[in-house]
This record gives sequence, structure tokens and C-alpha cells, in this order.
Amino acid sequence: MLSEIWSDFRYRLRALVRRDRLELELDEEVRFHIEREAEKYERDGMTRVDALRRARLAFGGVDRAKEETRDARGVVLVETMLQDLRYALRGLRLKPGFTAAVVVTLGLGIGANAAMFGVVDRLLFRPPSFMADPATVHRVYLAWTERGEAIHTEHLQYTTYLDLSRWTSSFSAMAGFSNRELAVGDGDHAREIKVGAVSASFFDFFHARPALGRFFSEAEDALPAGSPVSVLSHAYWQTRYGGRLDVLGTRLQVGKTPTTIIGVAPPGFVGINDDGPPLVFIPITNYGTTISKDYYRNYGWDWMHMLVRRKPGVSTAAASVDLSSAFLRSWNTRKGMERSLPPADVARPHAVAAAVPLARGPEASRDAKVVTWISAVALVVMLIACANVANLLLARALRRRREIAMRLALGISRGRLVRQLLTESCVLAVLGGAAGLAVAQWGGGALRALLITNEDAVSVASDGRTIAFAVVATLAAAVLTGLVPALHTGRGDLATTLKAGGRDGAHHRSTARTALLVFQGSLSVVLLVGAGLFVRSMQNVRALRLGYDVEPILYVAAHGRSVKPAPAEMAALKERMLDEARSSPGVVRATRTQMVPFWSGERRLLFVPGIDSVRRLGHFDLAAGSPDYFATMGTRILRGRGFTRDDGASAPRVAVVSEAMAGIIWPGRDAIGQCMRINADTMPCTTIVGIAENIRSRSITDAPESHYYLPIAQYDQHVGSSFPWLFVRVDGRAADYAESTRQRLQRLMPGDAYVTVDPMRTIVDPTQRAWRTGATMFVAFGGLALALAAIGLYSVIAYDVAQRTRELGVRIALGAQARDVTRLIVGQGIGLAALGVVIGGTLALAAGRWVAPLLFAVSPRDPVVFGGVVAVLLGVAAVASVIPALRATRVDPTEALRSD
Amino acid sequence: MTDDRLDLPQGTLDLLILKALSLAPQHGWAISERIHQVSRATLQIPQGSLYPALHRLERRGWIKAEWGASDNNRRAKYYELTRGGRKQLEHETKSWSRLTTAVALVLDMG
Repeated sequence: MLSEIWSDFRYRLRALVRRDRLELELDEEVRFHIEREAEKYERDGMTRVDALRRARLAFGGVDRAKEETRDARGVVLVETMLQDLRYALRGLRLKPGFTAAVVVTLGLGIGANAAMFGVVDRLLFRPPSFMADPATVHRVYLAWTERGEAIHTEHLQYTTYLDLSRWTSSFSAMAGFSNRELAVGDGDHAREIKVGAVSASFFDFFHARPALGRFFSEAEDALPAGSPVSVLSHAYWQTRYGGRLDVLGTRLQVGKTPTTIIGVAPPGFVGINDDGPPLVFIPITNYGTTISKDYYRNYGWDWMHMLVRRKPGVSTAAASVDLSSAFLRSWNTRKGMERSLPPADVARPHAVAAAVPLARGPEASRDAKVVTWISAVALVVMLIACANVANLLLARALRRRREIAMRLALGISRGRLVRQLLTESCVLAVLGGAAGLAVAQWGGGALRALLITNEDAVSVASDGRTIAFAVVATLAAAVLTGLVPALHTGRGDLATTLKAGGRDGAHHRSTARTALLVFQGSLSVVLLVGAGLFVRSMQNVRALRLGYDVEPILYVAAHGRSVKPAPAEMAALKERMLDEARSSPGVVRATRTQMVPFWSGERRLLFVPGIDSVRRLGHFDLAAGSPDYFATMGTRILRGRGFTRDDGASAPRVAVVSEAMAGIIWPGRDAIGQCMRINADTMPCTTIVGIAENIRSRSITDAPESHYYLPIAQYDQHVGSSFPWLFVRVDGRAADYAESTRQRLQRLMPGDAYVTVDPMRTIVDPTQRAWRTGATMFVAFGGLALALAAIGLYSVIAYDVAQRTRELGVRIALGAQARDVTRLIVGQGIGLAALGVVIGGTLALAAGRWVAPLLFAVSPRDPVVFGGVVAVLLGVAAVASVIPALRATRVDPTEALRSD
Repeated sequence: MTDDRLDLPQGTLDLLILKALSLAPQHGWAISERIHQVSRATLQIPQGSLYPALHRLERRGWIKAEWGASDNNRRAKYYELTRGGRKQLEHETKSWSRLTTAVALVLDMG
């Protein structure tokens, strides 16, 4: 049996490779046979001529016999495929313009999708690199209800982490981690970089071996303080240490702790990369102890995340139930320590074992939603590209109708013909796929920079998953684009086609082509409407007044690290920093602050005479600043006054409240002059002296926020001394002065303390990113779609004009003016576009409901957007059909009537 | 054309070719002549089917081909049985006689 298969294979291989020789042999064999047969007849007395004829007759159809013999060789399929391939390549070489148009169109479609896939995959699907058995690994999310508001969070306290570890039994491994920005290095080399504070067990979640040294042991991560050790990421080791082997055992200052380097992670290992890859890893207990001595005993700050691995046989649902009951127990323990915590039967605390990527967790970000939308858009672009290519192929097939009819008449089977056409579209799709990878490689970097923050710089070309996706997209494109023209060609009456010849006066417009065109137009309308809506949203977001200026503001923060100045020294340092900042070039004003919008916030218990519970009225955020605060920020004082130098530590306590807060706490009354007590109802009155405009410091979309402001001198009394934060207002663009300001202030820093400076723009930008991304992507893809639709329309109209040359010739001969002909052709183009506008507009209106939550202060049925899109599409249609129309007016009637 | 010639039942052509080659290597024409003669001119191999059949058998490895000189010193392609072909012939002969015996029994039923 085996030998048979082997002989079979050898034979077929020889048949394939030595095809020509086998053909010659077959010829000779048949000739020999007929000779011998003829000789036999000659011996019977026939003449040579008669004998030969008789022999041939007896043999039957020589060609048929040969054909069957070839079939018997069993390689016909491969042979014809190679033949079709050669035929397709020859055909494409002969029409470079057509080929280029198709390859570019497909390239853009496939490229856009491959690049988008790279983003979506990284954001939503791809498990972290090196993660072992990722299907069983989850991030723990906590949820409860507070004041009727459902709260979901992935943040928890180390104490909660211990509780959940202790009181669950569903997990074979658990780890805590927290990626933090810490100053790493000494003195002038100190830079804030991402540091992963992780449990020793964290590394067991990965199939990763240290490139050098080792990871931390359980003992080095033991409570309460762990050991001061660090593991470098491979990238950091390469860039900072040049890959030196003697790095092990050397000292590296991480945050406040001098650590000893004990290992280097393998290349590409980034742990859990939520918002930028960590460059250094330290034991989580060692980091915890720098926050608070009691970080593992109290429920203060929720600063870390938890990773779990389910035991075999435990379902995700069961794991969540187990976590929930442990969390309930933990809640009750916490309630015993914190009176103000709502009781468990009100808060209903529960926990979920959900996906590791945050974008797929219960708190999917707006960014993730926008990215999902953009992938859908990319798919639509792909459909448009395919429709366009199908249209071009169809036009080509129609142009070749006579050739094809001729070949059918000569005996080629329809099946073979369809196969040939499919081969052609496959070749085109493969070329398009290659172009697509190039597009993805080039555009993918830009796209990832725009869409994902945790970029770990992997190029598309070396990413197997993206390439696999591109291959699948290519195959889909080949089938989608090839099928329509192939089926179209499979039909049709050849006799009529052959008879009609070029004198095909009664031209018939291809309905398939028209339908494809309208389809393209409709989808383009949908995308353009999306682009319009997102652009308007972005404009609105940009125009939104946050209640303070953004462009001219710099945020300056001093970080103490191990320096602990005496209170008097600290007070002097704060003053010196303010003075130094004010005298920096370009700086016009400076103020101290304790609140940074979108980065940090602070709330206190408030007591107002006559109100039972201020807390029940809403959230009130505290901000504090120097006398120059409001002028520096550009926040307007609506009534009353801001702060002055007289509002010192020992002066009467005063506060400024936002308009919103004044309206909530003292509705219908003048807030100025009212009394408010902070922290406890036994505290002295803080008198309201001014009303400021509302600001946004938490979210730009949620309900309006309420703020109150204290003079920083009076605020300092509450919290004691820590290194100061400043806001600095410059004359011009803040970013231009960031480095000079940093250098001047750094000189004032004692010991290893250091200064960081961020323009307010970089703080505010991430909150607007979703709209900017949406606008950019929709505009890019919408423009692409429009261009493709325009090309499609042009090619259909141009083809039509070519087909109607005779008819147009007759019209012109009968006295039609150029204007009439132009109107005829352009009208046809606009008619098609109008149909597309109607269908696409309806689709866009229907889809509006789904995008509405992603828009900002724009109705999904915004008339300006819809009107604009209609105008653009009709305009483009007019331009695309004017070119062939002008050609039509130049038809020479005598030429047209005489031809063929 | 005389009416006493028979069309070959499906699948018997391979058997006949193998049998014709069992004595000595032959070229295509000689195979068809031999079958024609031995069957006393009853079996006429459709010559058009002969060559596809030969190539099929060659592919299966039951016969192999070699170019040689024919009796009047012309180049001809000679086919000969391989070991596998011999086994196949034996096997097919047996099943053929079983088939004919069985068919004969049924027809004799009266």
C-alpha cells in the first residue's frame, strides 16, 4: 500500500516536472501505434493512404485519447492552476493601470484593517506577553453601591488583597501589582519612570526566565517591608546600562529606597502593561512600606491591582462567587474600623474575576469603545475597497465579453473560465495583501501612538497575529472581489454576444456594477456622517471652558524622596520656589496648589448650620492656592473676592466656593458671608468670601462638579508640611518654558529631592483623547471611503460612456449640444450618488442611536453634518462624472458610427 | 463491424492489459493486437482507452515503461509488469473467476 502511494507520488511529480517530455513521448507512442495498425492493413492489401486513414479511424479521436491520458496522470488540477496563474499574471502585466488601481485599493483596505487589528488585538484580545495559560488568569474587580451610585474599580488596598487571598479557595496563585511613576537613579540622573511594584508570586504567572540573575523570592516580598531589591526590564538594562553583565549587585535608587539589582527580565517582558511598560520591578511590600507603615493593616489607600489564577475545574462564575464572599467578609472587617463606611447590606459589595486587559473589564474605558467603533469603520472601508475592486474586475470582465464568448465557443468549460477569473482576483488580492502589510507597517505606528498608551513598540511585520489577520483579510478580499465578476461571466448567452460584436448599439448597463456603486456610496455616507459628528464633538470638547486656562499653565511638582526638611525650612523653601518661579523667563504668575485637575483630588467632611448632612447633597472637591491662584489659573471670581496676603495662617478662615456649590448648599440665598465648618462640626467657621466660576477637575462629561477653595496658608495647617506643587502661568505656550523652569527650580532642591514639570495641556489631553481619536480616524477612513467611491463612480461612468459611444454619436449627429450630453452623463452620476445618499443617510440615522453616547454636545442627527455630507458626496459625484462627460462631448459622430 | 464483438465490461480493461503483459513486455499496439487475437477477435479494445489505461496503471506502479527497439527496429515504448502488478493480476484474476462463477450459478438457476 505504502509503495503504491509512493509510486503514485513519484509518477505525479515526474508528470508535473517533466511535462513536456511526457507529451512528446505520448505523441511518439500514438504515432507508433497508428503506424503498426496501418502496416497491418497494408499487409491485407490496402494502399498506404487507405491503410493510414483506416488506422486513424480505428484509433478514434487522437486528441481525446491524449487528453484522457493526461487526465490519467492525475496532475491536471495542478497543471491548469499553474496555467491559470500564468494567464492571470500575463493579463495583469498587460494592464498596469488597472492592476495598480486594484492593488492600491486593496492595499489601503487590508492595510487599514491590519493596522486596526494590531491596535484592537493589543487593547482587547492579546494576553500579556509570556503569560502562562492566560485563559485561567483574571484581574479582580470590586464593586459596591455608595449613595445610590454603583462603583466599579480594579483598585484595592493591600489589606483587602490579603483578605481576598486568605478567604478564597478557588485560586492556585494570586499576586498583587501596581505600576507607579517613581524617580529612579541619583541626583541629576534621577528620572521618573514606570516602576512595577509586584508580589514575588507575580512572576509565576508568566513563562519567563530572567535574562540575568533572578526574580525576587517570597522572603524578599515578606511582610511588612520586604527587601530593597530590584529587577530591571531588558529594555532598561540595555538603554541605561548598555547590557553590562556586572550590573547585578549594584545599587539603584528607586523612589525613596536604595535597592540592589538582583536580576534582569527577558526581552519583551513587561508584566501587566496597563499604561506604559514598567522598566524596573520591586517587591510590592517594599513599596507599600514607603506609603504607610500600616499599609497591610488598614483600609486607607486603594493603590494596587490583584491577579488570580483559577484552580483547574473552578469556573469563572464560581471564582467570582468565592471572591465576593471573601470581599463581603473583608468589608465587614473594614466596617469595624471605619464607622462612616456604609453597612454591607446597603453597599452590597461583590467581586468579579474578569479579563486581565482593563479595556475588557467591567469599566471599559471610552477609549476602548471608540477603538471598537473604529474597527467597525475599518471593516466598512474594507467592504468599500472590495466593492470597488469587484467593480473594476466586473468592468474588465465586461470589456472582455467578446474574448470570453469566443473562448467559450472554442470549447473552454465555464467552470474553467470561472476558475481563471478567480485565480486572477486571488493574484490581485495577494498583491493587495502585500501592499496592505506595507501600509499597516507604515501607518500602524501612527495608529498605535494615537490609540494605545501602553506601546511596547512591536512592528507589524514581525507580529504573527497581525500577519495572520492580514492573510485572512486577503483571502476574504479575493473571494469577495472575485465571486461577483466570476458568477457574472458564468452566465450569458454567447451567441448574442458574438453576433452583436462591437455594434452593441443597445448598450445595457450592468445592474451588478450599479448596485456595487450605490452600496459604496451609501457606506461612504455613513462614514462621512460619523466623521462629521466626531469632528463636531471634538470642536465642542476643545471649546469647552474648563473653568481655567490650559495652554499657558505649567504644573510644577517638587518630590522630596528621602529629604525631610524641618517645618521652618520647608516653609522657606516654598516661598523661595514661588519667587524663583515668578522670576523664570516667560513666567507671569505663580501659585501653590494642592489639587491637579484630572490627576488628584481631595474631599473633606463639611458641616453647614441648618443642613443635616452636606455629604448627601453631593461631592465637593477641595482646592487650595496662594493669593495669586485665581489670576494664575484664569478662573474668574464672579462675586466677592479671591484670596489676599492677609488670609494668612492665623487670620480668620475664609473660602471661595464655586457657583454650583453655592447654588446647592445655599439655594436662593447669598453664599457670601455664610459659615461652613471643615472636617468636624466643632471646627471654627470658615466664612465664604467669594463665588468663582465652575471648573472641571474630574471628568469633562459627567455631571457638573462643585469646588471650594481655601487659602493655602490656612490649608497647610490641616496637613502639615510636604513638598509643594505649583501652577505657573507663562506668556505664550507653556511647553516652551517647561525645561527652563525645571532647571531653575531644580537648583533650589536639597539633597536628592527633584522637580518635575508638566504642561497643563498634557494633563488635559488624555481626557479629550477619545474624541480626538474618533475624529482623526473617522476623517481618515471617511476620506479614504470617499476617494474609493469617487474612483468607483468615475470608472463606471467612464465605462458607460465608452459603451455608449455609438448612441452618443447618433445623438450628436442629430444635433445634441455638448451641454445636453454633459447633462445626460453628469445627471446619471449624480442620480447614482443621490441614491447612495438616501440609503446611506437612512443607515446613518439608524446607527446614530449607538454612537450618541460617544459624542459630545452634538445630536447624532446634526443637520449641519448631514447637509455637509450630502453636499460633499454630490459634489464629488459631479466631479467624477464630469471628466467622462467631457470625453463624451468630443465623440466624433462619423467615427462613432463607422467603427466596427 | 461485425456484431459478435463485445464491449468490455467496466473495469476489465486493466485486468486484460495486466494479463497480456504477464508473459512478456509489450508495446501498446501489440497489447491490443494480442487481446484481439487471443479472444478470437471477440474482444476489441477501444484503442482510444488503451493509452489512458496504460498511464493509469503506470501511475499505480503495477507496470513500468521503457523505451526499446521493436521487431522492425523502430523505437517503441514497452510496458512490463512490476512485482506489484503481478500480485494485482493474481488478485484480479481470482475475483474475476469468483464473479463469473457466481453469475453463471445465478443464470443456471433455471
